[in-house]
Amino acid sequence: MFPNRFEYRRPGSLAEAVQILAENPDAKLLAGGHSLLPAMKLRLAAPSTLVDLSQIEGLRGIAANGALTIGALATYNQVHDSAAVRQAAPMLADTCGIVGDPQVRVRGTLGGSLAHADPAADLTAVVLALGGEVTVVGSGGERTIAADDLFVDLLTTSLAPEEIITEIRIPDLAGAKMAYEKHEHPASGYAVVGVAAVLAMGDGGTIRSARLAVTGATAKATRLSSAEAVLAGKTVRTETIAAAAAAAADGLEINGDLYASADYRRHLVGVLTRRALERATG
Amino acid sequence: MPTPSGEQPQRLGVGSGELPRWEEGADLSIVGRAHPRVEGDAKVTGGAQYASDVRLPGQLYARVLRSPYAHARLTGLDTGRAAALPGVHAVLSSANAPEIAWYEDSLLFDRTLRFVGDEVAAVAAESEEIADDALRLIVDAYEPLPFVLDLDTALAPDAPKLRPSGNLNGEPTVYERGDLAAGLRDADVIVEETYVTQAALHNCLEPHGCTAAWDGDRLTLWSSTQSVFDVRQRVAEALGLPEHHVRVIKQHMGGGFGSKQIAWKQDVIAALLAKESGRPVQLMLDREAENLAVGNRNPTRQRVRLGAKRDGTLTAIAVDAAQQIGAHPVGGEGADVPAIYQNLYRCPNVRTEQRLVFTNTGPAVAFRAPGHVEAAFALEQAMDQLARALDLDPLELRRRNYADQDQAEGKPYTLPEALGRCYDLAADAFGWAGYQKPPAAGPKRRGVGLAAHDWAGGGGSPPGYAWVKWNADGSVDVVTGTQDIGTGARTGLTQVAAEELGLPMDRVALHLGDTANGPYAPVSSGSATQSTIGPAIRAAAADAKRQLFEAASEFLEAPPEAMTIRDGKIHVAGEPEDRATPVGDVTAQIAPTMIQGHGERGPNPEDKSVRTVGAQIVEVEVDTETGEVSVCRVVAAHDCGRIINPTLVDSQVIGGVTQGIGFALFEDRVVDAGTGVVLNANLEDYHVPTAADVPPIRNVHLNLPDREANPTGAKGIGEPPLIPTAPAIANAVYDAIGVRIRELPLSRRRVLDALATREAPR
Ligand SMILES: Cc1cc2nc3c(=O)[nH]c(=O)nc-3n(C[C@H](O)[C@H](O)[C@H](O)COP(=O)(O)OP(=O)(O)OC[C@H]3O[C@@H](n4cnc5c(N)ncnc54)[C@H](O)[C@@H]3O)c2cc1C
Repeated sequence: MFPNRFEYRRPGSLAEAVQILAENPDAKLLAGGHSLLPAMKLRLAAPSTLVDLSQIEGLRGIAANGALTIGALATYNQVHDSAAVRQAAPMLADTCGIVGDPQVRVRGTLGGSLAHADPAADLTAVVLALGGEVTVVGSGGERTIAADDLFVDLLTTSLAPEEIITEIRIPDLAGAKMAYEKHEHPASGYAVVGVAAVLAMGDGGTIRSARLAVTGATAKATRLSSAEAVLAGKTVRTETIAAAAAAAADGLEINGDLYASADYRRHLVGVLTRRALERATG
Repeated sequence: MPTPSGEQPQRLGVGSGELPRWEEGADLSIVGRAHPRVEGDAKVTGGAQYASDVRLPGQLYARVLRSPYAHARLTGLDTGRAAALPGVHAVLSSANAPEIAWYEDSLLFDRTLRFVGDEVAAVAAESEEIADDALRLIVDAYEPLPFVLDLDTALAPDAPKLRPSGNLNGEPTVYERGDLAAGLRDADVIVEETYVTQAALHNCLEPHGCTAAWDGDRLTLWSSTQSVFDVRQRVAEALGLPEHHVRVIKQHMGGGFGSKQIAWKQDVIAALLAKESGRPVQLMLDREAENLAVGNRNPTRQRVRLGAKRDGTLTAIAVDAAQQIGAHPVGGEGADVPAIYQNLYRCPNVRTEQRLVFTNTGPAVAFRAPGHVEAAFALEQAMDQLARALDLDPLELRRRNYADQDQAEGKPYTLPEALGRCYDLAADAFGWAGYQKPPAAGPKRRGVGLAAHDWAGGGGSPPGYAWVKWNADGSVDVVTGTQDIGTGARTGLTQVAAEELGLPMDRVALHLGDTANGPYAPVSSGSATQSTIGPAIRAAAADAKRQLFEAASEFLEAPPEAMTIRDGKIHVAGEPEDRATPVGDVTAQIAPTMIQGHGERGPNPEDKSVRTVGAQIVEVEVDTETGEVSVCRVVAAHDCGRIINPTLVDSQVIGGVTQGIGFALFEDRVVDAGTGVVLNANLEDYHVPTAADVPPIRNVHLNLPDREANPTGAKGIGEPPLIPTAPAIANAVYDAIGVRIRELPLSRRRVLDALATREAPR
């Protein structure tokens, strides 16, 4: 349970951080450390250099202006406690209050969670369902990646090795109904399965469009497109929700592990989809 | 004070058998009070010293290389690069370690390795990090051998063998009374089912380990152990030292639960590394090693048969139990699964058969109420099933089969009414009789369940000794070789001394856990510390008090028989209260002459059986969509004789129930079938219940002094509260959803699978 030896750097600017990353191909960014350090202790990760982001200004702010902008280094607790987030995207604020345990929420960051892309992370599915995007800075300058394009595979994102997430943006979702339902692992607290649902509402209680995302079940956070298709254009009714839940796991490649078989997870995808939709619309 | 009979050898001090009993209703002022833990301040301020807190000049830190194979022969080992790593001071393995016999048929460093985690080599270095790096530099080669990982494969006719004699540890143990076949013939209803229990890991908060330091040819070992004297004996034997050259110290401990009741290899490995390096060596296990190599609760498979008449009278009880004891006979691996079948219910026809089975998995060792926990899961579910088959209230069925004597021993219980009183207390506090299920809301279903237990321990036994020394200022030091393994024994035992001496608690200092500075006391196991050592301390205190009165007699001009001590003052019968003399006046007068009392634990009653019993009732809620079981509330009632300290008793009950919830719902060592690797030897995948899993637990106090067990009237409570929790939960789950789950744990997946194949309620 001891990491390999590594060098520790603490740059004062994004440019400096990008440069260190470019010069050290197996360097790793350090944000809250709650995914990276456990992996290093198990020697699943052995970076030569840690690049601590904590001294870089301007990565923690939270601003709302219809859309929501959250600095990559904002911690779960900061997001959970933010009135602006609660107002604009209550599901995001709520979820940040149930990630892991208090220690994790004090240090863990939104940027770290999205960059790590743990298959059982909560925020990946939540940001995906919210239709969020991330701003990244790298040697080629700044670009924006939609959450839909961010998660590539197990622990893999579309970030280039020397790219740094600087902020997360959530579009204006005024009037949307949303909820995240999680079945947590009894020991680790991670999502065995989690389903996030965001419904954009039209007139007379119809669902204009739906974005649903699952975590825990698949290699990466994934849209539940079959359920979304069932919901789009329908009015919110018990039968609609049941039909969406029944379709939710269609087409998913679901993984099993020590704790939960693929079948059990498939079952939970349906149950949690229904519960998320019920709570969002209830 | 009666003198010992002329036959006996001359003896110093008092045996507890000679003391007058503290009867029910006795006027006691300190015993029975919720005194805070005497070591509480030290613990919350970080001052309490645990085995890993020891820091000696030049101290090294050791790590152990363990077998990656479930069964293998070590064919090559090159420790050269490890030894050459800067900061490494000693490397031990089968290549250079002395041949020390271990586990009956193996060596401290054996070349035949029988489970993933068996010790291969050890390194001592200037830091744990260096030692860890050194382990990675050892080049080890093995010839893998065929292995067996569970009961089914180990018992198969052509199974690979762990030992030339096969995979059974000795012959099956059979107990019989009456005529089982006749009992089953006479039965109107028969329940026949098979139950499976899992390997649970002790997961003591403080892992096993020790610090070893030599001074010439004398060894001091700070060990996290339940028995300083047993560790001393075993280590001295292994190293060929006389016992008095080994001193074992244990001051504070973060739990043992049975897994620390024996000396393990690391005690000797640390001593050898310290010898080799000429430096003190600390060897603490990490969580993974802790969960591989130093014990687990044996998995069992129990085929149970119960026969009963229409009115519920049991005519037959039978169990055929196979227990998976792992790779080595470590001592205490053969948990007493049959006991509960033999004694919990009155039944003339009983047969129990027990087989202990070796497998290539980590060795099993005693785990809080060993055997009884596993057996209660099966028997108490079978009883519930029987009650439903007979359309009887499960509590009524138990009352109809009430046992007021130890049927295996053929002796009456010292407290035959205790279990009945526990039934009453638990049922009343829970509201069992009038319980109404709330209407089903959505996918959630509620249910209630009951289970009883009996426990062979709690009574304690001789030998066990204590000394009491009066200091010049009238305070006392109480010295005994027992240990406080985290239960609060220090506090309960101090209360006994303070009570007998008539001193306030803060005038009594209790010293324990040091073989060099206290008389023998046995291992802290069997829930016996209070009931073994409490009477010895009381006897020593009585002896010291008698001598004090004799010394005071001259100064106070009164006969010793007329004296008592209350709140630190000697009162003479017939004299006014304000004439009382502080004990310090007497002790100061005679100082430096020192009064010393000696006490020993007297024998248990010969014609009676001392046991502990209890019952628990739980309410659960089952989420029928996810399989989640939540325990809503638990009511417990347990017999532990006189309650010395209600807070300590409540703590044991809460802790036991919590472990019982973990055993029932979550805990399960998972061994990879292809390799024998334990996949969840950590706390990230293996869930030990936390505060969030624990519902309100109400412990109803019986507090009935045991009239005959010992003169303090107190018995133990450490282990029993864990016994009935899992079956009570399983019975409640059945009540909620109409499905019997006969395999532990009642994981979400298992509950859901069971719901999918819902059987008709029986
Ligand atoms: C006990 C425990 C329980 C947990 N339970 C949960 C849970 O229930 N749900 C859950 O979702 N998570 C859980 N986690 C994980 C936790 O949420 C992590 O903190 C989070 O996933 C990573 O954020 P971090 O800031 O700690 O990142 P770090 O660990 O510092 O970094 C993680 C990875 O992201 C990279 N990275 C970090 N910041 C950036 C950035 N700005 N740009 C690019 N790359 C970056 C790092 O280089 C590293 O590869 C748990 C962790 C622990 C230890």
